[in-house]
Amino acid sequence: MANLKKLYDAVLNGDAKTAVAVTQEAIAEKLDPAVLISDTMIPAMAEVGRLYECEEYFVPELLLAARAMKGSLTLLRPLLAASGTKPTGKVVIGTVKGDLHDIGKNLVASMLEGGGFEVTDLGADVSPDKFVSSVRELKPDLLCLSALLTVTAPSMRTTIEALKQAGLRESVKVMVGGAPVTPEFAREIGADGYSENASQAVVTARQFCHPDKAA
Amino acid sequence: MGATVRIELDPLGIVLDAEQGSTLESILAMHGVEFPCGGAGTCGGCRVQVLAGAAEPQEADLLVLTDAELAAGYRLACRIRADSPLKLKVDQWSMPVLSDDAAGAASLRHGLAVAIDLGTTTLAAQLIDQKTGAVLGLRTALNPQSAHGADVMSRVRFSLSNGELTTLIRSCLAQMIADLADGRAAEIVEVVLVGNTVMHHLFCGLDAEPLAHVPFRSPNLGEQRFSPQQLGWNLPASAVIRFLPCLGGFVGSDILAGILATSLHAGHQLRALIDLGTNGEIALGNCDRILCASTAAGTAFEAGAIRMGMRAAVGAVSHVSWDGVRLHCGVIGDVEPRGICGSGLIDAVAAGLDMGAILPSGRMANGDKVMSLQHPVELYQADIRELQLAKGAIAAGLRILLEHWGAELDGIESVHLAGAFGNYVRPRSACRIGLLEVPAERLIAAGNSALRGAKLSIGVDHFPVLGIIEHVPLASDPEFEDKFVDCMSFPDGHETVAANCVHPDD
Repeated sequence: MANLKKLYDAVLNGDAKTAVAVTQEAIAEKLDPAVLISDTMIPAMAEVGRLYECEEYFVPELLLAARAMKGSLTLLRPLLAASGTKPTGKVVIGTVKGDLHDIGKNLVASMLEGGGFEVTDLGADVSPDKFVSSVRELKPDLLCLSALLTVTAPSMRTTIEALKQAGLRESVKVMVGGAPVTPEFAREIGADGYSENASQAVVTARQFCHPDKAA
Repeated sequence: MGATVRIELDPLGIVLDAEQGSTLESILAMHGVEFPCGGAGTCGGCRVQVLAGAAEPQEADLLVLTDAELAAGYRLACRIRADSPLKLKVDQWSMPVLSDDAAGAASLRHGLAVAIDLGTTTLAAQLIDQKTGAVLGLRTALNPQSAHGADVMSRVRFSLSNGELTTLIRSCLAQMIADLADGRAAEIVEVVLVGNTVMHHLFCGLDAEPLAHVPFRSPNLGEQRFSPQQLGWNLPASAVIRFLPCLGGFVGSDILAGILATSLHAGHQLRALIDLGTNGEIALGNCDRILCASTAAGTAFEAGAIRMGMRAAVGAVSHVSWDGVRLHCGVIGDVEPRGICGSGLIDAVAAGLDMGAILPSGRMANGDKVMSLQHPVELYQADIRELQLAKGAIAAGLRILLEHWGAELDGIESVHLAGAFGNYVRPRSACRIGLLEVPAERLIAAGNSALRGAKLSIGVDHFPVLGIIEHVPLASDPEFEDKFVDCMSFPDGHETVAANCVHPDD
């Protein structure tokens, strides 16, 4: 029998090899992928987030855990789609135009995936037009914008303006984050939410998608 | 002007009137308070203590400052407002500016010349007798642009909406040159300036917009020449003012000057020049080829985002060592410590690793969040994380340049550390934390190599070395993220520990 405690530990310890191996076993045993995600993966990533919050984990541990989780999710996702399971919410994420910094955005994307969200990552240096067309096509619940440089943070404003112009602003919640971003700045540019780090982003995203269930 | 309130600045003894309800950022900037993040309310570096009067904490205060700091009356200078009379404690610390004692090249030319190292934080200018190469005088100052952000990116952002930075630096340097010449300004025939790409653009009045976004490529990297009239400088009309060419991206003529000063381009042995600052710059090469890059290291080396961080000034813990039994702290000025500076931070983390109080992952052992250094100065878990980001960026940058070059770490014969920080950091500690992954004995403090190189460039119109220098953009390098993450951890260091500390049982 697939040892789910082992999968939980593998994600926590960033051991991608073991995570993939246990997931394969579980799939072979016909375990419900939705249950595997809700009962093992999401709690494991939540624990990773907790360890980061209390300063035990740092960026390297977070990235390793994310890789282990991704290895497992890559196997489970096609099965989920086939069974018609609904994700926690749909997210489009990207680093804004002018900025190539990827690490923070990747961490947020991984934590959201680990939180059961369906995440489309547009990458870095994403133009407002690209964000707009993705929101139009994918109809996400949430749009997450990241920037690391003080000089590129204004691109977030431009992107939100572009959404307004396209008449899509009301169709999606916008969350912003990154080193130069403050709650003040987020409000000023008309974003709906701000989070200080990747693990907080999951909490904020849940509040937007399921305001009733959020703690 | 409406109602005013009285603002008292301690220990400066300055009393001034501020418009009621106005923000105090500009007033405090004039009196030595610095705003490392440019007043964005994110770094906490501008905190001042309210000694008397009421200043309600703002949202940014609550986010950035600890409960203890808030209770002790600390507030962010970039958020504080003059609602009622205030007495503020402003720690205006002076900083020693690194200069250079080497003479310039003697030549057959007559007259005086000035060499200037235009740094993001500090300025150093020397007056040179062209004929003998002798240094006749030195002036140093803080860059007056500092009030608008400590790092180059904050300056670029400020310059996009305001042309003031060019005027600020030009008039400050005009004054320095006048002081330096001491009545002999009429004999000055040449002024040579070096600095990073942002300093180059802001001094020359070039549009810094291309430096605000990827690919950070400006069309104006070349040498810029001015007449005294163009700058409004009081020098002979025939004098030439030259800002030497940038090397690419953010790597400027300070690194070109550093290469000239350390003769990186002479000989076949592979050597590196590293300038450790908010923007770490690295050059690696020999007489055939030199690669250079810049990497954003954040402000940790200047103790920027460090909880008890401060400049290398009186009261700073600047030296920490572990003898196997207890920690020893050196405090600048031998006074009661009040903070920790960049070199102290690196020492403290190196000592923590030796003690086993800090694990290779960067986590404090036993779930601790604080490591006591010397009362009341402490090292926090979050400080170690800041340092990990900074040192990871530098180490990853060097590894990528080595890969481009096709060499290994042990193929580097020596690493020259430029700038003030490189002068004060202890090689053994820099190696212990993996900031520089070469043996400590291969690290050489290069002093102010930018100023020295500027002196060597007086009267030199052509730099053949430019033909072998190549800029490597790290931001777009697909390897960077992986290497950066790899380099964030600390080396295990069993050998270093054994070699450097005496165990009580021995």
